[in-house]
Amino acid sequence: MKKFFALLKVSVKSMLLSSSNMGRKNRKKAATGVGVMVLIAFFGLYMSGLYSSLLMSVLAPIHMEVLVFIFMGIAALVSGLVFTAMAAKGVVFGGKDNDLLLSMPVSTTSLMASRVSAIYLENLLFSFFVLGPAGAVCAFMTQSGVGRNPLFWVRLVIAVLALPLLDTALSVLLGALVAFVSAKVSKGGVIGQNIVMAVYLVAVFWFAFNLNGMIDGLAANAAGVKESLSWAAPVLWMADGIMGNWGMLLAFAACCAVPFALVVFGLGKVYRQAVTAFAARSARNDYKLSAQSASGQKKALLRMEARRFFGIPMYFWNSGLGLIMLVAMGIAALVMGADLRSMAAMLGGALPVMPLAALLMGFCLSMSVIAAPSISLEGKYLWILREAPVDEKSLLWFKTGFELMFTIPCTVIAGVCIAIALSMPLWEGGVLILATLLFCVGHAAFGMLVGLTFPKLDAVNETVVVKQSLAVMLGIFVPMAVLGVCALLYWLGGMLADWAALALPVALLAALTLVCTLILAKRGPAMLRAL
Amino acid sequence: MLRIEHYSKTYPGGKKAVDDLTLHVRPGEIYGFIGHNGAGKTTTLRAVAGVMDFTEGTITIDGHDVKRDPVGAKRVTAFLPDNPDLYEFMKGIDFLNFVADLYDIPADQRTKDIGKYGDAFELTGNLGSPIGSYSHGMRQKLALISAFIRRPRLLILDEPFVGLDPAASHLMKGYLAELCQSGSAVFFSTHVLEVAEKLCHQIAIIKDGRLIKAGPTGDLVGDSSLEDVFLELEGDK
Repeated sequence: MKKFFALLKVSVKSMLLSSSNMGRKNRKKAATGVGVMVLIAFFGLYMSGLYSSLLMSVLAPIHMEVLVFIFMGIAALVSGLVFTAMAAKGVVFGGKDNDLLLSMPVSTTSLMASRVSAIYLENLLFSFFVLGPAGAVCAFMTQSGVGRNPLFWVRLVIAVLALPLLDTALSVLLGALVAFVSAKVSKGGVIGQNIVMAVYLVAVFWFAFNLNGMIDGLAANAAGVKESLSWAAPVLWMADGIMGNWGMLLAFAACCAVPFALVVFGLGKVYRQAVTAFAARSARNDYKLSAQSASGQKKALLRMEARRFFGIPMYFWNSGLGLIMLVAMGIAALVMGADLRSMAAMLGGALPVMPLAALLMGFCLSMSVIAAPSISLEGKYLWILREAPVDEKSLLWFKTGFELMFTIPCTVIAGVCIAIALSMPLWEGGVLILATLLFCVGHAAFGMLVGLTFPKLDAVNETVVVKQSLAVMLGIFVPMAVLGVCALLYWLGGMLADWAALALPVALLAALTLVCTLILAKRGPAMLRAL
Repeated sequence: MLRIEHYSKTYPGGKKAVDDLTLHVRPGEIYGFIGHNGAGKTTTLRAVAGVMDFTEGTITIDGHDVKRDPVGAKRVTAFLPDNPDLYEFMKGIDFLNFVADLYDIPADQRTKDIGKYGDAFELTGNLGSPIGSYSHGMRQKLALISAFIRRPRLLILDEPFVGLDPAASHLMKGYLAELCQSGSAVFFSTHVLEVAEKLCHQIAIIKDGRLIKAGPTGDLVGDSSLEDVFLELEGDK
């Protein structure tokens, strides 16, 4: 047991250090870690609290609080799975210290158990952040009084502790599958990850777009909805258990503990073989050298950035999703133009159509964080660019420009589509495109600046950089906050004059873009040199 | 070729890694840089390569000041760290072309040189595979090829013999000599004193960030061996 805890300590410490920089002596790095944890915790609590209260307001009056825990249980399971499956691949099967630890006199089962337990602790956070607020909402909003019973909290704690066991077992199996595919087929890993990401995002969007309809439907037929979720039986047992059925809670706990134990002991027995098989990637020996062609520095750097962007599914989907949404929004506006125009006419000019369109476009652009993780993704390869005869200023503009290469055309396409669909006057369409283009440039420059300020050059894999680094979080949420300020200025300006309502947000965007660009030009190269 | 004048590097926190180092490497010379772990060798090599900033002194390569004209200096230099991490998402041939493009190497020259060094290091057949599938030694060879195809005026190597098989080490020594015959220079660190003694025209010994001895290998070693001289200077004997 002593050995297990020593191994667990090492696994947890390395996971915390790699994903959050916590425990570092360097204050900036430690701040990065704490900042990421605070942001994840805040958004987990906020999203769960928001959706739990939304659902509870509909379900509590008909005493169907149980459905809130079913939905939140599924949310915790899926979010944990998405975040930790890739981590499982790296932490459990691709640990940099595998050779060292496997050579020591510890059983492979202990080693496997320590690795898997580290993943369990990460999943526990998701479980706590998602189910905790649901419990609190239940305590305040329940009309059957169930949430105010102390035993309710005991049952909730058992559920919070048990759910990550199931999540971890599934994550480790999925991680093993991804590791296996990556080892066997050179491009299979990328294709497989792309399919997983695409399916997951389609599911998330389907869920988000149908949420309102589902909530309306829930009030009318809550029992039917519960029955239709029988495919998620363990989560149903968990929810029934939390609501007071101890037998169901026990069944749920067993349903989580058994797969976890099977994964630990089953994979633990073949851990050495699995690690060996997943690491075995042999280079082919049949390449025939032919005449090579030359291209310039710019094309070489562009190709390298493109290979990284399109070759790392997590980077592409995380950073390119906003752009896909942006273009889809423009095309959808064109297709549904007549409906949109009649809706706008019905509201009789009460709806500020152009500012709303700009706001939505800005929201999509905020999520297109290509520049922010760019420096961190260089990681251990940064020496190659530093050694190359390219000055730091050009490198930074190149990386910033790579984001603009995608965001500017997508913005123009979406802007033109929306302007045509809504029959905007020429000047209004011009303002829409100008404002969003300013936002594009500012977003890219700001992204590069936060990437330089909060770099994560020692991340164990790209997922940590793209999904969990402070630079990416700030690159998304600070521009969103700027959009909020723009909306406020629009409202304040409207009190003065119509032109002021538009001029104030555009002036703010222009000023912020100028400031970010100037800081990047002046201080960026020195910041890159200092990394 | 390489002039290091009063170079010092102080890390945040006040630790002086290198203190007032001055040394010159002439064209055609292989210059060995030896010292115990943490003596300041890698810190010096990284500063020379323009990979790391430094606090005091000047470093010029073929007339280019590393601080004032970093791009000019890098254009005539090739640097290999002790454990070169190469883009794992690229194929070997893509990486070589990437480097060749950054250094504006013409198509016919790069084809010829990739063939020459690839065949010599027995890596040509593997160039179509992703670098992620390479062994440590193969990566080391690929990094070496990427350095040689640049035909650098100054080649900077940090522990170049680590990870190479005896045949590749032997080949590399031959290519280093060939490079020097063409008027270029090599500045490298090593712990393999026998190799340094046989290969280098000049040797510098650094201890705790300060240069304690430098000069032609013959003068430095005399009738003794480099190992004896080194241990004596280090105060371990």
